[in-house]
Order: sequence, then C-alpha cells, then structure tokens
Amino acid sequence: MNFGKQFKDGLINQNPVLVQLLGMCSTMAITTSFFNGLGMGVSVLIILTLSNIFISLLRKIIPSEVRIACYIVVIAGFVTCVDLLLKAFVPALSNSLGVFIPLIVVNCIILGRAEAFASKNSIGASAVDGITQGIGYTIVLVIMCVVRELLGSGKFGGGLLGGGGLGSAPGVVIFPEEFGIKLLTLPVGGFLTLGVLIAVMQWALAKSEKKKEAK
Amino acid sequence: MKISPKFVLKVAGTLTAISLVVAALLGVVNMITKDQIAAINEANTKAALAAVAPEGAAFDPVEITDDVIAAAKDYGTISEIYTMSTGGYAVKVIASGSQGNIEMIVGVDADGAITGVSIVSNSETGGIGSKVMENKPNDAGVGVLDQFVGMSGAGSLVVKSNITPISGATVSTNGVTAGANAALAAVEALG
Repeated sequence: MNFGKQFKDGLINQNPVLVQLLGMCSTMAITTSFFNGLGMGVSVLIILTLSNIFISLLRKIIPSEVRIACYIVVIAGFVTCVDLLLKAFVPALSNSLGVFIPLIVVNCIILGRAEAFASKNSIGASAVDGITQGIGYTIVLVIMCVVRELLGSGKFGGGLLGGGGLGSAPGVVIFPEEFGIKLLTLPVGGFLTLGVLIAVMQWALAKSEKKKEAK
Repeated sequence: MKISPKFVLKVAGTLTAISLVVAALLGVVNMITKDQIAAINEANTKAALAAVAPEGAAFDPVEITDDVIAAAKDYGTISEIYTMSTGGYAVKVIASGSQGNIEMIVGVDADGAITGVSIVSNSETGGIGSKVMENKPNDAGVGVLDQFVGMSGAGSLVVKSNITPISGATVSTNGVTAGANAALAAVEALG
C-alpha cells in the first residue's frame, strides 16, 4: 500500500461519498453554505484520522466479538472532543452545523473505514487513509456547497467571504438571489446535486476504465 | 456453545479499558473547554436579553414558582425569569424544535404583550430550521421572530393562523411559537 495509490483512492477511485456511497446523510443535509461544508469536512477528517490511528493501534487487542462496540466508543469519544472544542473555540461553526457534529458518531464513513481499513492495516497506513478519505469527503462537500449555493442563491463562499463574522458572512453575490433555483437550497436539492455528482463520477470512472482497456 | 469465564473477562475487560481511556480523554477536553463554553453561553444570554428589551433596560432574576412552571408546562420549560427595569419580564424558555431544544428569550411588557423574541441556542437543521433561528423573512415577508412583537394571550399564538411559518421550517416555527406561548403563560401566572 503506497501513499500515492491511497491518495488517488481516497480522492477518486474509492471516494467515500461518490464511489463507496458512505456518509450521504450529512453530505446532503449540511451542504448549504461553503463555510458549513468546509467545517464539516475538516471535522470529519480530524475525527476519521484520529479514530483510524487509535483503532489501528488497538487492532490486535480488541476481541473481534465486541469490535463494533469498541469502535463506537472510540469514535464517540473523539466526536465529543471535537464537538466540545468547536463549541468553545469556533461557536459560529458549532451553531450552524448543530446536531450534525454529534451525528458524526454514526457517520458510516468513520465506522466503515475502521472496519474495512484501520482494523487490518498499520498505524501509518491508517493515518494516511484517514487523511485521504477525509480529503475526499471534504472535496465532495465543498463541490456540493458551491453548486447548491451558486445555482440556488447566486452566491459563493457563504459564511466565509463577503464581510461580516465567521459563519454569518453573506458570501459574494454572483447574481441576485431571486433568479436562483430555490429548490437546490432545500433538502431535495441535496438529493439532486448528489445524484448528478455520483452520475458524473461513475461516467468518468467508466471512461477511464475503457481507456485503460483500449491500451 | 460454552462460554469460558476467561473469554468473558477478556471481552468485558477490553471494552472497559477502552471506555476508561476515552472517558479520561473526555474529562481532559471538558476541563479545557468548560469555562469557555460557559462564558459563550453567558454572553449569548446577555445579548439575547438585550435584544428583547427596550434599550438601557436592566435585568433582575426572579424566583420561579411551581405555579409558573405548571402554567407553562404545556408549551415549554421555563428556565429563568428576569424583571426588566422598563417594566415587564424577560423569560428564558426551553422549547422543543425539530432537532432538539431551542433555548430562547421572550420579552413581555407590563401589559402582557411580547416585546421581542431572541434565540440563545438551538440545534435546528442548517439551512432549513436555522432560518427561523436567524429571524429570516417568513412566507409573508416579515422576520419570523419579529412577527411575535405586540402579540399577547398565552395559547393564542397558533402557527398558520396568526403566526406565519417559513415554508419547510414549520416544525421549527412551531417550536418558537410554543416557547412564546410558554413565556406568556409564565408571565400571566406571575400576575
């Protein structure tokens, strides 16, 4: 397992959201502003990396009969840490993500990677896996946010750009809000955007596969 | 299948050990963040109090009696009541929203009419229920929290009758409305 392959897997070939189809609830629910997407992505990246390291460290100690319970305790611990730290030091993010931070506990990306990767691989490889899968997740969130924000309300970078405090910044107006597709900012827009993204990803993967075969 | 005591010990022991380590870690993080979170909550409460009262009002805590709790219990939980130096009360209410509790402050003047509603903390869905928390315009174009100003009569506030929700966020609007009703009921019970 080399770093380059892991990186490509996390971002493209085994992208957690678009290929493994994990963690879709939060992907659809929180991708309403750039700030939310980035904040959620980075939070998951940190938790995923920490829990991967910890679970890999304990992989020979944990009896397989109670492994899921052990994983959940570890994951829940890290999630609560991040939740408390965000509440204390980045309250704007904690307010806008609300219940979705505690819900990272049941985000299948983290349990999925613990079971599929960290429990079978070395600490170093698991840490890299956490980072690359986390980046893959973050990139998808950010793409979803940019698409939904731009087409839905004509803005870019809501919560970060355009003056005002962190989380309350209005974003840079690209075109007036009333011309936006309001639907995309609603939950149904999350389903549509994610569906289109998955389709594009599958198309691109299939195409590169064909190219390889042609060679 | 026979389960050996050794096996039970191993399974339970590992789980306990991991839980202990995680609990210790949480204890440390809690110690670091506790004061900071309390300070932020206090600042939020102060800002929320100032937002519902006329400018320059001072606040004094009032003891919450069982009558008050009983009067408001159908709508929400009263957590704090303050008298406003300009007359009337500011009531801190915990109402239930779509994703958990909404902690809010409702100002009520001496005549029993709402002077303002502001949100202290909530966990409403980002982009949907959060619009209600941020006082975004409702379907009639008025700030969803602003529409409560001037209303009175505990229990008389009803969503889709005299309170207009934000479409898609009816449950969150219901929560805020219940909180406003609770505050009015509490003030009526105080007399």
